[in-house]
Amino acid sequence: MSLLFELAAVNTYRGAAHVLRAVSLAVNEGETVCLVGRNGAGKTTTLETAIGLLSVRSGTIRLRGQEITRMPTHDRARRGIGYAPEDCGIFPDLTVAENLQIGRWLATDKGDGGAVDERIAALFPEIEQLLPRRGLNLSGGQKKMVAISRAMALAPSILLLDEPFEGLAPVVVSRFIDAARKIKGMGISLLIAESNVTNAARVADRLYAIDRGEIIFAGDPRRALDNEEVMKTIRG
Amino acid sequence: MDTLLTQILNSLFYASILFLIASGLSLVYGVMRIVNMAHGNLYAIGAYVAAWTIGLASTELHVSLLFVLLVTGALAAALAGALIEPAFLRPLYRRAEEYQLLMTFGLLLVLEDVMRLLWGPHPLTASALSDALGSISVLGATYPAYNIFVIVIGALAAVGLGAFVYRTRFGVMLRATSQDMRMASALGINVKRVYVQAFTLGCLMAGLGGAVVMPISGAVLGMGVDALILAFVVVVIGGLGSLEGALVGALIVGFVRTLGITYFAEVELAVLYLIAAVVLFVRPAGLFGRA
Repeated sequence: MSLLFELAAVNTYRGAAHVLRAVSLAVNEGETVCLVGRNGAGKTTTLETAIGLLSVRSGTIRLRGQEITRMPTHDRARRGIGYAPEDCGIFPDLTVAENLQIGRWLATDKGDGGAVDERIAALFPEIEQLLPRRGLNLSGGQKKMVAISRAMALAPSILLLDEPFEGLAPVVVSRFIDAARKIKGMGISLLIAESNVTNAARVADRLYAIDRGEIIFAGDPRRALDNEEVMKTIRG
Repeated sequence: MDTLLTQILNSLFYASILFLIASGLSLVYGVMRIVNMAHGNLYAIGAYVAAWTIGLASTELHVSLLFVLLVTGALAAALAGALIEPAFLRPLYRRAEEYQLLMTFGLLLVLEDVMRLLWGPHPLTASALSDALGSISVLGATYPAYNIFVIVIGALAAVGLGAFVYRTRFGVMLRATSQDMRMASALGINVKRVYVQAFTLGCLMAGLGGAVVMPISGAVLGMGVDALILAFVVVVIGGLGSLEGALVGALIVGFVRTLGITYFAEVELAVLYLIAAVVLFVRPAGLFGRA
C-alpha cells in the first residue's frame, strides 16, 4: 500500500497550551485508520491540524508526498481531504440540499458531480428525503449522516471523521460502521477519531492510541485490545 | 387623501434609501461579524462621486445618460470597499472586537477628511436629474417623479439582493460562511475571498444609496454620519445580520420618520430611538435577528 497522508513530528498549540507533542501518523491508500484516546487526549486537535483549522508550530503534513503544512484549509479540502467535525458543523439555516451543494459545486468544477450523488445515495439512501429540510431541524443521527455525505461531496481521497459514532444508538452505530466500510470500498481512505476502542476495532485496519497529545501505540487493533497498559490508559 | 398618499410615498422614499444603506451594513455584519462604522462614509462617497462625474459630464451628455452615471457612485464605493477590507480589516480578524470598531471608526473620520480634501467644504449636487423628471400624478396626487425612481431602485435592490443571497451559488456560500466560517473553509470555500466580496457588495449598496439620494439632498460633509445613525436604528430594530430585518426596519423607520416630521418634529429622532429601545428590550436580537 502506498502512503497517502502523513503527519510527521507535529507540534500544535491551542493558545498557550501545547496540545500535540511530536505526533506522527500515516494513512495509506484505501486504508481505515482509527485514532483512539480519552476526551481531551488530542484527537480533535489532530484532525483540526490535519485539515488546517489549527496551524502547526513545527513538523510537516503531507498529502501524496506533497507538503501541505502551511496550505490554507480550503485548498486542502479541494485537494481531497474531506472533514466531518464532532459537532457535525451543519449550517443551521441552510437546507440539507444546500449543505451538500457546496462541496458538489466545487466537485462539479472538477467534473465529479454525478459520481458524488451516486456515492452518497449508496451510503445513506434516506438523505434524499431530508434534502428540503433545514439543518436546524435534523436529529443527531441525521446530522451525522449529512456531515459524512457532505464531506464525500468534494470527491475526497481521504475522509477525516471526528467521533462519527458518538451519541448514536448501538444499532445505528452498526449502520454507520457499515457506511464506513462502504466508503473504504469506494477506495477512499479514512482517519477516524474515536473514543470507543471496541467501535474502532470494528472498522480499523490500523489503530493509533493517543494520550496527552502523544502517540502511545500504533499497530493492529487486536494487539491494542490485548495490550493491558494501552487499554487502561485509553479507558481512563 | 392626497396628503396621505404623499406621506406614504415619502415614507417609501426614505425606506428605500435606508434599506440601501442598512442592507449593506447588515450583510457585512452577518457574514464577517464586523460593525462597520465607516459604512456611512461609503454612502457619502457614492453621493460625492456620482455628483462629481455627473457634474463633469453634464454639459456633454444628454440628461438620460446622466442617470447612468449614478452607477459610478456605487462602483466607487465598491472599489473603496474592495481595497479597505484586505488592507485594513483583514489584519484584525484575530483580534478583539474593539480593534475592529476602532479601525472602522478611524476610517469613518479619515474618509470624511479625504472627501473634504478632494471636493472641498461646499456641497455638490446634480439636481438636473430630479428636475428633468419633473412631477407626475399618482392617483390624483402630484409627486416628484425622481422620488418614485428612487423607490423603484430601492424595491429592485431588495428583490435583487434577496434573490442573490437566497437563490444563487454565491449566496449559499455567503450564508454558509456567515453561519460557520471554519466549516465553510473545511468544505473548500475560500473564506478570504467571500469576505472581500461580501464587503464590496455591502459598500456597493451603500454607494448606490448615496448616489440616488444625491440629486435631492446633495453630497454634503457629515451626511455619512447622519445616515449611519439611522442605519443603526434600522438594523437594531430589524436585527443585525438579517436582510429581511433591514427591509422591515427600513420601512418602520421610514414611516415613523415621515409621521414624525409632520406631527412631532421636535421629538422625531427620540421616538425612533425609543422604538429601537423597546425592540431591544423585547427582542434583544431585533425582529428578525437570531440571538
